[in-house]
Amino acid sequence: MPFLEMRDVHKRFGGVVALDGASLSAEPGELHALLGANGSGKSTLNKTLTGVVAADRAEVLLDGQPVTLRGPREAQARGISAVYQELSLVPDLSVEDNVALGVEPARFGFVDRREQRRTVRGVVERFGSAFEGRLPLDTPVAGLPPGEQQIVEICKAVARDPRILVLDEATASLHEAQVRALFEALRDLKDRGVLVIFTSHRLEEVFELCDRATVLRSGATVGTVELAAADQAEVVRMMLGRSIDRIERDRTEAPEARRVVLEVRGLITDRLRDVSFTVETGEVLGVAGLQGQGQDELLEALFGAARISSGEVRLDGKPIHPRSPRQAVRERIALIPGERAREGLFSRRPILENLTLASVGRRALPGGLLRGARERRAAGDAVRRLQIKLGRLLDPVLTLSGGNQQKVVVGRWLLTEPRVILMDDPTKGIDVGAKEELYSSMRRLADEGVAIVFHSSENLELVRLCGRVLVLFEGRVVQVLEGDQVTEDRLLEASVGVDQVPG
Amino acid sequence: MIDRAVRSLTVGMRRGLVPGLTVTTLLLITVAVNALLAPNFFSSYSVISNFSSFVPLVAASIAQTIVVLGGGIDLSLGALITLSSVMSVVLMEGDPGRLPLAVAVAIGVGAAGGLLNGLIVAFLRLQPIVATFAMSFVFAGITLKVLPQPGGQVPAVMTTTYRDSVIGIPVAALVIAGLYGLWWVVKRSTLGRHLYAVGGDERAAYASGVRVNQVRVMSYVLGGTFGGVAALAILANTGSGDPYVGAAVGTALIGGQTTLASIAAVVIGGTALRGGVGGAGGSIGGAVILALVSNIVFFAGISGGYRQLINGAIVIAALALTAVPAFRRSPA
Repeated sequence: MPFLEMRDVHKRFGGVVALDGASLSAEPGELHALLGANGSGKSTLNKTLTGVVAADRAEVLLDGQPVTLRGPREAQARGISAVYQELSLVPDLSVEDNVALGVEPARFGFVDRREQRRTVRGVVERFGSAFEGRLPLDTPVAGLPPGEQQIVEICKAVARDPRILVLDEATASLHEAQVRALFEALRDLKDRGVLVIFTSHRLEEVFELCDRATVLRSGATVGTVELAAADQAEVVRMMLGRSIDRIERDRTEAPEARRVVLEVRGLITDRLRDVSFTVETGEVLGVAGLQGQGQDELLEALFGAARISSGEVRLDGKPIHPRSPRQAVRERIALIPGERAREGLFSRRPILENLTLASVGRRALPGGLLRGARERRAAGDAVRRLQIKLGRLLDPVLTLSGGNQQKVVVGRWLLTEPRVILMDDPTKGIDVGAKEELYSSMRRLADEGVAIVFHSSENLELVRLCGRVLVLFEGRVVQVLEGDQVTEDRLLEASVGVDQVPG
Repeated sequence: MIDRAVRSLTVGMRRGLVPGLTVTTLLLITVAVNALLAPNFFSSYSVISNFSSFVPLVAASIAQTIVVLGGGIDLSLGALITLSSVMSVVLMEGDPGRLPLAVAVAIGVGAAGGLLNGLIVAFLRLQPIVATFAMSFVFAGITLKVLPQPGGQVPAVMTTTYRDSVIGIPVAALVIAGLYGLWWVVKRSTLGRHLYAVGGDERAAYASGVRVNQVRVMSYVLGGTFGGVAALAILANTGSGDPYVGAAVGTALIGGQTTLASIAAVVIGGTALRGGVGGAGGSIGGAVILALVSNIVFFAGISGGYRQLINGAIVIAALALTAVPAFRRSPA
């Protein structure tokens, strides 16, 4: 009888299936990894276990006893504590108060400060080397660098004296010494009989630290492997599944006389490390990687929404310094965000208004008066170019299907006549038919000579649309795949930092 | 050495132990100006009388601090205080024997009103700013039903004790010290810790297993309780009940002036209106500063309408001050 057993876990978010019969079984005193590509359901499974997400259907057994976990409080009461990707620290409270939050030692309703200090110090000291030798117990967490905040978060979970500790991408913001300190502490917990469930995008870390790994694909469990007896390539193949030999590609043919529109050299921001690339007219350049490797930040930096600390951006050979989205729009760069975009629509206002919003100033008379005919012509133009299916231009946007709503967002930016369109995972959360429509719109735009930088969390999409893909890993471009190299296997390998999978 | 001292001072300020530099400076200035304008400012009569006038606002500002720290705001506080005071005075009828009952009623009404506010905010999920403003009219309506005109009689023992002094220290000053002590108890309790956590980041507090709704409700209950104390101080200071005490001059907004002043005291005292940072120590300083400023305005012979104007301007100035980087307590 396993210590922890999760069986037949199902969860849908709206139309998206996150978990489709996933399972997991683990023993006390084990370092158990949870692996999978983007969207395979790792985080959802973790959150089901910690009570943050309520599964649609699930069997969870602890010590053979079925349990239901409603909310983090209940999970904690059963000895399950977690370190989430999003920090759960209160910025103004001190490190000590944060670590003890919710489990303060109390006598007659008063915090026993001496006892609190003793226990918190005991936990934080185990991570001593992660704090460069000092123990910042009285510092407000807002004053610590991100890596140390992450360690405090881990201390907080450990201070709850858990039987199961869930770490979801807990090493993402840590530097080497901190990772060492963490691993040491985790091995120590293992020796005390704690079950650690560990998720990391760094495959090497997983192999170094963990005993076994459960691999998820498309919301279901593929299998569990003994890591000592497995190699990285084998695990990657499990994550990927059967490789797809031939898929239909609708990459744009290179038009005659392509030229470089956007040139980025040595771009450095908070999360990007020395990123360089070029995009040509009519090209759809893909941006790939596991979630949160700097893809969003790259697009935001080019759009003036993230601070650039150094590096050069040239548009048509002329250096530009995008410092605000307004400036970027003036340089004719457009950013089409993903899911948030549809939230940015004014759903009860007419399609016409939604389409013309970003470009309305260009067509207005001096003094800001609008000319109805010109507005209608502009909106009609966008509708034609993107083939938006609608009743009348004056119908509210909410009468449109999801895909067509997304096209309205594209159309809004199209009317600013962009030379470069940045797309941030635009198909996330829309149905298959709508995706197809969006792809054909993208193709048409590229054929018109617009340069598109296309970030997607779905590798298959990149394989279909892009002749060239940058793969980001921890803020660096680790590989540029071109032409026939752009396959799902190669994308995934590059994303997890494996150079080449033989065979 | 100096570095160390500065650090421990700033840590102290963060924890609300030492009122911030701003408060101290403003306090010294207002005291100096008061002393200049009123030569007998330090006479024992004047000191007692001043401290007596501080207590209601001090209690109200602690009440508001607790609510604000937890991420809320209480715009019904002034009305609730007025309601507590009229309920209490109507029950007393000048009879010293009923004093314990009247005290219990004042505190009880405050706590019950706070509970109501808290339940509305936490469970009906209404915006505190709107919900409590609406509640202020509910409390005002009940107030006018209970005591439509100024009246009622406070037992003499209450007023004389209040204006007495013990070994040279005014009783009112001891009351303020006692209120600070109560605040200290709240701060040191588990509830107090959770108050800071919920006000600082509600989601993080929830993920840490803090009972967020319970904490929010309790912040209003505690606020109402301190409001009850403010109500008693008003009665002891004035000797009778008045539905229009603390209302803005010339308006029927019951307790409106008290509410605004309590928020101003919180802001001057360095508690962030977004919640989670600050403490009642600063607010007490802020309340005293406001009382001294209204003394100055009074000495200067400024008429009622302008006094309103100046009071409003002071609040805006205090809010603006918190936006000046040099006065900010924590880096953004």
